[in-house]
Amino acid sequence: MRAEAAEAERRFEVREAARGWHRAGAIGDATRAAIEAAYPDDRARLGPVFRVLVFGFAVVAVNALFGLFGLFMAEAFTRSNGVPLLFFGLVLVGATELQVGSLRRAQGGTEAATAFLGLCYLLGGMLWLVESARLGEAAWINLALVLVVVLCAVAAYRWGYMLFAAAAASALFPLLARGPWGRVAWVIVPVALVPALLRGGDSARLPPSHRRSCQAVAVVCLVFLYLAVHLGSWDLGLVEALTGVWRASRAPAPFRPVFAVATALVPVLTLAWGMGAHRRLLINLGLVGLLVSIVTLRFYVHVAPLWVALLVGGASTLGLALALRRYLDSGRGHERHGFTAEPLFADPERRSALEVAASVASLSPAARAVERPGFQGGGGRSGGGGATGTF
Amino acid sequence: MSPDVVAAVRRLGREGTLTPAQSGLLGRVAGDELVSVRAELRLLLYGGVLAVMGGVGVLVQQNLDRLGPVAIAAGLWIAAAAALLWALRQAPPFSWGSAPSTHMAFDYVLLLGVLLTGAALAYTELKFTPLGTSWSHHLLAMSLFAAALAVRGDSRVVAGVALSTFAAWMGVSASPLERAFWFSGDAAGAVRLNAAITGLLFVGLGYGLVRSGRKAHFEPVATHLGWLLVLSAILAGIGDRGAARLGLFVVGAGLAAMAFWRGRFPLFGMGLIAAYIGLSALVVAGVRDAAFGFLWFSATGIAVLVGLLMAQRAMRERA
Repeated sequence: MRAEAAEAERRFEVREAARGWHRAGAIGDATRAAIEAAYPDDRARLGPVFRVLVFGFAVVAVNALFGLFGLFMAEAFTRSNGVPLLFFGLVLVGATELQVGSLRRAQGGTEAATAFLGLCYLLGGMLWLVESARLGEAAWINLALVLVVVLCAVAAYRWGYMLFAAAAASALFPLLARGPWGRVAWVIVPVALVPALLRGGDSARLPPSHRRSCQAVAVVCLVFLYLAVHLGSWDLGLVEALTGVWRASRAPAPFRPVFAVATALVPVLTLAWGMGAHRRLLINLGLVGLLVSIVTLRFYVHVAPLWVALLVGGASTLGLALALRRYLDSGRGHERHGFTAEPLFADPERRSALEVAASVASLSPAARAVERPGFQGGGGRSGGGGATGTF
Repeated sequence: MSPDVVAAVRRLGREGTLTPAQSGLLGRVAGDELVSVRAELRLLLYGGVLAVMGGVGVLVQQNLDRLGPVAIAAGLWIAAAAALLWALRQAPPFSWGSAPSTHMAFDYVLLLGVLLTGAALAYTELKFTPLGTSWSHHLLAMSLFAAALAVRGDSRVVAGVALSTFAAWMGVSASPLERAFWFSGDAAGAVRLNAAITGLLFVGLGYGLVRSGRKAHFEPVATHLGWLLVLSAILAGIGDRGAARLGLFVVGAGLAAMAFWRGRFPLFGMGLIAAYIGLSALVVAGVRDAAFGFLWFSATGIAVLVGLLMAQRAMRERA
């Protein structure tokens, strides 16, 4: 990553923190102005809505431009085995370099679009070239995964996009699964990498985007670790299926209880680690894993009817959240062990908008049946205020 | 943890920009010595509400014969009343302005009470049919009840449920998955018309809230949902008629212009995308040539990009 871009990121991080402090009333206008003067931002940035729009229209424009070239040079495209894709990809990579370099763009939409499309075209071109070499399916898949890992990792390192880092890590594990000890590798690699990645996520030597990339890769690693030890993945032979040899290399049946225990333990340990180290990332991941493990338990052991499980689970979750909030609130300064239920500097408006959108999307009742003109039907049945109408 | 922010807090504290008290708290938060788990607790509460409602749905479906309709209806009404009573006891004093509750669980228990009331009402109507052929009016009653509670409890989440229940009474689902079905079926035209009318009603409601100064902070919920319904209704019809394409372009462009003028970014985005789809459908559908299509999308894509960058600059200068 360019040194000046890394420096701009560091300054922007401080400015964003100051914005949160100001919004929460922790600092006044004058203090915020002083902080912004001490940490100036020299990048051309856009707000979230404009950024998404610019990204979308840049993707449309670039792809249409490539389609236009492809239409006029269709025969040359086919004969050259993906070379035009490579060329177009390189042009887009150059455009990205220009934007993040001398044009000093960051979070502007266009540089993300050219970076994303450049990577896609480069990958497409390389895979086309590999395909023309007729290596065979297994070798082609392996090579494709290697290319995804390498290109995405280089792009994440160069431009600092967290999603590229996550994509590289996500391709690495299917690649490992294709080896002779796939499931073991899915356990060993995360166990070895995650502590280092989390340290990298806190390192002052790395720019913020690289720190976020480290955290994203750590999340991907932990997800694959959980998949490796999950009882359902063992029973389905999920990892082994990626080798193309279904259930070929699994350990003998006596090992099965180990997977049952690990399915329960990994989320609990992740949660405990997160609480001990004050890492929200691990806490959230542990909570999600715990939910999946509870669903898995219900799948394998029918301790109670589904409605009982849902009602008891829901009520327990509500009770647990209320008890935790009361416990934290009753501590000195509304905190205990370094945790608080106070909002601190989060943006309440953004959270509220997300909650409203989620409620409308997931809790909307089924619509009354509308009759077409001239039709005399009995109508439908539906619930209200979130009921689904399936009674 | 953000080491850059930790270092900045130390530096700002040394230079006197931050007071010792400020730098103490801010430094602890930036260094993850003090972590807020409020978002996680809220997520747990929301998940709890969803699980309880899922359990209620399965309970009603699977135990109808065993428990009997009276027992199920009574159970639902008692649970709804308990949740609403708890919520109303925790409710902040009423105000036409913003009056958020001090209790973190308030919004979620109120939501649970509203959803349970909806389920109880729907179940009672289905089993005992007190409304007879006017059964669908229970949706209207439910939306008004939810709206009243949303205003009383100052809950935007419940306000969203009230609006989507009203839309359901109008025959329109606000759920994105169900909205996909507007595109086909015998009654698609009627559903689109209802959706457009409902959307306009919501936009009008949002305008009224702001004009009257009563619960003006609910306006974005009504206005965004309203415009989403209006634009989706027109978009659902562009495969059938050229008028719908022109309509989508005109309405989208109008919304984008109005939103640009007022600095409403999400509405500006919605309007711009709708206008672009409408215009592109008009032009490209008229000329069935692949080369022209590619030329159109590359040229207009670049033109919109330039326009967006200019618009953003103009908005920044105006601010």
